[in-house]
Amino acid sequence: MHLADARGVTGYESPAWDGVNSLFADLVDEIRRDPLGSAIMWKKGAAKEPPARIMFAAHLDEIGMIVSKIEDEGFLRIWMMGGVDRRILPSMEVTVHGRRDLHGVIGAIPPHLQDSSKKDKSWKWDELTVDCGMPADRLRELVRVGDVISFDRRAIGLANDRIAGKSMDDRAGIAVMYEAARELQKLSHDCDVFFVATVQEEVGYGGGITSTFGVMPDIGIAIDVGHGNMPGVPEHEALKLGGGPAISFGPHVHPHIFSKLKETAEDRGIPYQVEPGTSPRGTDAYAMQMTRSGVATGLLSVPLRYMHTSVETLSLGDVKKSGQLLAYFASAVDSRFREGLTCF
Amino acid sequence: MKDLVKKLSESFGPSGSEDQIRQIIRSEVEQYADEVRVDSMGSLICRVAPKAAAPGAAAKRIMVDAHMDEIGIVVSYIDDKGFLRFSPVGGLNPHVLLGQRVVFGNGVVGVFGTEKLDDIKDLKFDKMFIDIGARDRAEAQAKVRVGDAAVMLASFADMGCRVSGKAMDDRIACAVVIEAMRRSRPKLHEVYYVFAVQEELGLRGARTAAYGINPDVGIAVDVTLWGDTPEHAPFNVSLGGGAAIKAKDSSLIAHPAVKNLMIDTAEKNGIPYQLEVLERGGTDAGAIALTREGVPSGTISIPCRYVHTPAEMVDMGDVDACVRLLAAMVEELASPAGGGIL
Repeated sequence: MHLADARGVTGYESPAWDGVNSLFADLVDEIRRDPLGSAIMWKKGAAKEPPARIMFAAHLDEIGMIVSKIEDEGFLRIWMMGGVDRRILPSMEVTVHGRRDLHGVIGAIPPHLQDSSKKDKSWKWDELTVDCGMPADRLRELVRVGDVISFDRRAIGLANDRIAGKSMDDRAGIAVMYEAARELQKLSHDCDVFFVATVQEEVGYGGGITSTFGVMPDIGIAIDVGHGNMPGVPEHEALKLGGGPAISFGPHVHPHIFSKLKETAEDRGIPYQVEPGTSPRGTDAYAMQMTRSGVATGLLSVPLRYMHTSVETLSLGDVKKSGQLLAYFASAVDSRFREGLTCF
Repeated sequence: MKDLVKKLSESFGPSGSEDQIRQIIRSEVEQYADEVRVDSMGSLICRVAPKAAAPGAAAKRIMVDAHMDEIGIVVSYIDDKGFLRFSPVGGLNPHVLLGQRVVFGNGVVGVFGTEKLDDIKDLKFDKMFIDIGARDRAEAQAKVRVGDAAVMLASFADMGCRVSGKAMDDRIACAVVIEAMRRSRPKLHEVYYVFAVQEELGLRGARTAAYGINPDVGIAVDVTLWGDTPEHAPFNVSLGGGAAIKAKDSSLIAHPAVKNLMIDTAEKNGIPYQLEVLERGGTDAGAIALTREGVPSGTISIPCRYVHTPAEMVDMGDVDACVRLLAAMVEELASPAGGGIL
């Protein structure tokens, strides 16, 4: 929950970094940040010969907004950082990260005053503003165009080990890596494992592209969130909350990685679901797969409801099981498996 | 400066056919560079060595980029009556083409015509053709071949403190970079001034140039839009408001350290500036930032009205502010403190 509450709007992830650093510091051998800001956390393997290199990637950034103009009446005009659904914005409380953090609210024209033809339509970006309660001159001293805005929403616990909060996409993935790193302390592993908290995934997986170039992995597994079951989403398009990690397959996934993840889950008695990928794009798996001469990729999805809202809901059990699966996977990868990746 | 802007604006260089504009820029910059090369995509790369080598460590590399290509059209078919069908090169609006003329690399001029339309809203590129005055296919083929590209034919207009012409996107930035090269000599570190190809087709030239240079920091110079004409959508950039420092566009989130250094440098030197969040559009900095292991990158933008028309307009005061900001940024980055970035 602490991970989800940290602020790390895409491109401005540094505030979220401290928490990650302190979680992983004792679990890995070396931590560095690449020039774009992704954190690369290296746990060395036991192999004597050059070890296989596995990269786990979850993105650190979250969607948010940016100040695009300060109006003379004291309102901030805003634009999205990542895919923000503007229908959810009215009545949102936000933090404006100016010279100091300011509270703000996103209001809306009351229905009494609204043109009746617009009542059933979604707001446009130029109809949404942030109100910090300040006159323009004071506001301009504290806020500049280009300052970022994050959602003010603390994670809460629901029944049945479910939690809801902002930016579970993809702090859940960071939590999965943390569980995997903890589990890996108890296991032996030949391969080098790189836990990578990537930046700028929400604006085109920039951090996934650059960190993979630097890590040069043999195997890359992205951990992201997948759409959970809820009314209105057909069963065949949804993952079951509490049903365990979803192992993805499709053109964005190497078939041997898919099989090995499934096999590992079955051997260890970890419940899992399978998720067909209809497009290779959309996660860091795409970025990893297409780097340098190509990387054998996998994708693990944590089932999550209400994606890109501030009440993204998931099951903590799924997070824990996903972490265990990754740790057992890393422990089972040896040089023979790596060599087999180019045997089709 | 206006003479240079006029020369660059009126030159020929649609994306993918940059030979003529590259020659012109090369002759302007050769005297200021220690080494000039062209990469296999066609981008012109000028290396300027530092006055003194960086003590101890190897020199870092600063990449400054402006793209030299411009939007245009490419001939896709020549019919038996000698009319040319065409496709756009870069982001072109068919409505902008009505009543306009184009010129090919060999000087052949054409005018746009349209098929019969029930409604002007139906205007699409495939309802249009180019008439080069040929009486039949053979005469047309003697002048133009399928695959030849053309640019808008528009003369430069000096309006006093503002100027207008075609291809201000991004020749005005080429002029800014050339002028900044004249004014600054790095103390430490190498500066690579890149005049990139094919930006209008997806930041293609900058991508390979950056891979080849492997820079430690990147600055693109490009035009941005405007928000100060009647009933315009809200946008925090005005003509005459100074150099625009980009925070975000659809290709890039400016690296916070680079953006902040630009702001601090502008304030320190009394250079007028404005901050820019552009909803749609990208610059070469987006490609540079994702090169290899990542490159902290930002963009200095020149406010420009009527972008992607033959009548793009800029303010020479803004242009001067951009030159001063770029030159000051190079000096900050090439100082021992490295602007806090290098």
